[in-house]
Amino acid sequence: MTEIQVIENPALEGKRRALVLAEDRVGHYPEFREFFVRQFSLGTNGPSRPGYVRAPSGMIYALVFVGRSGEPFPDGIEIYALPDALEPLDDPEVDADLWALLRWMIEGVGGEWRVDDLDATGRLYQLSVVADV
Amino acid sequence: MEALETAHRFAHDQWPYESKFRRVNGWRMHYVDEGIGDPVVLLHGNPAWGFLYRKFIKPLTAAGRRVIVPDMIGFGLSEKPVREQAHTLDGHIANLTGLLRQLDVHNATMVCHDWGGPTGLGFALSNPDRVRALVVMSTWAWPLPPAEFHKRIFPWRMMHAPLVGPYLLGRHNALAGRGMYLSVVDRKKFRAEAQSVYEGILPDPGSRLLTWTWPRWIPLDESARGLTRFEWLERELRKSKLPTLLVWGREDEVFDHATFATRFKELLPHAEGPELVTGRHFLQEDSGEEIAGKINRFLDRIEGRQP
Repeated sequence: MTEIQVIENPALEGKRRALVLAEDRVGHYPEFREFFVRQFSLGTNGPSRPGYVRAPSGMIYALVFVGRSGEPFPDGIEIYALPDALEPLDDPEVDADLWALLRWMIEGVGGEWRVDDLDATGRLYQLSVVADV
Repeated sequence: MEALETAHRFAHDQWPYESKFRRVNGWRMHYVDEGIGDPVVLLHGNPAWGFLYRKFIKPLTAAGRRVIVPDMIGFGLSEKPVREQAHTLDGHIANLTGLLRQLDVHNATMVCHDWGGPTGLGFALSNPDRVRALVVMSTWAWPLPPAEFHKRIFPWRMMHAPLVGPYLLGRHNALAGRGMYLSVVDRKKFRAEAQSVYEGILPDPGSRLLTWTWPRWIPLDESARGLTRFEWLERELRKSKLPTLLVWGREDEVFDHATFATRFKELLPHAEGPELVTGRHFLQEDSGEEIAGKINRFLDRIEGRQP
C-alpha cells in the first residue's frame, strides 16, 4: 500500500533543500522514533547523512535527523523537498506527498497505530488529500 | 513608554478593545485591560485567544469590575515561539504570573477554561494573596487519568502524533478551524461570526505550534512531562478555601460534566455549581452573556452586594 520508496544516494546536483515540515519531538511517542531508527539504521549511521525517500509525485525528500543533548537520537526531524534549485514548490503536490509519507510512517510504526485511523482523522478534519487515498 | 507597551486595535467590530503588551518572562504578551474595580482575569486555552471572551467584557465592566484578558504566549496577538521546547506548563504559569504581578493584580477572580485551567489555577495556588475567587469551566487539574477521549488513538492521539501534528494542526490549521467548529453547539453562528477570527489569528504553520504542543502535555501515563505539576495542582487545590463557581456545557463531550465537574466538586466541596449552560467544550461561544451573568451574580454574593 505504501507509495513511499526509500532511496540511497540520490543525485543532488541542481537541487535545493526546501523545508516543508518540522517535528521537534519525534519521541513523544517512542515507537515513532524507533521506526526512523530502524528504517534508516540510525543506530549505526547516527546523524552522518539524511534519509532519502521518493514520494508519489516523483519528488525526492530528505529527512534530516536532529539531535538534542540529553535526549535519545533523533529528537527532531526536518523534512526537506528537493526541487530544482530555482523552481517554486507546488503546494498541493507537496501536501499529497507529505500525506503519503505520514501513511508510510504510521504503517511502519504499527502496533496500535493504524493507517485507517490516520485516514479517519484526515477525513474528520476534511483534508482534501484524504479523498484521493 | 516602551514601544512594547503601546496600544493598537485589532480591527474587528466584535473586539473593540485596546490592545496592550508587556514583556513577561522573556516573551511579548498581549492583553486587554478594561474597566475599574476588582479584577476578573479571563483565561483561554488551546487554540483560542482573548476573543473567546468577547461577550463577557461589557457585562463584567458594566457591573463595576476590571477585566483583564491575556493571550497566552503562543496564541492570539502574543508572541509565538517557534520551538516546541519553548513551551512548558511551568513556563506558562510563570508567564501569567509575570503579567499579573506587573499589573499589581490583587483580589482577583480567575476564570479558567481548558489550558487556562492548569495555568490559571497554578497562578492562584502559588499567589494566594492575589486571588479571592475561582471560576472553573471545562478543564482539569489532576494527573491521571484524563478523559477517555484523550487516551484514544482516533482522533486525539493521532491528531498530535509526531509529524502528524505539524502537518494536520500546522499546515492545515485543523484545531482552530474544524476542531473548534466541532466543539460548539451552534455551528452555523460560530462559522458566521467567529471561526475566521480564530483561524486568521494563526495565519501560518509556524504560528500554530502550540496547537499541537499543548495536547502533548496532557499526562497519559506516569512518565508524562508535567505529571508532578498536576499532582501539585490536585494536592493544593484540595486545600483551597477560595470561593469557587463551576460552570459547564451540557453538551461537552471532551471534559464531560459528569466526570470533570464532579471531580472538581470532590476537590472543592464548597464550590457552587456546576451550573450547566448550552455549550460543548467552547461553551463561551454558545453562552457567553449567560456565563458572564452567572459570574456577576457569584461575585455579588461574595461581595454582599444586593442583586
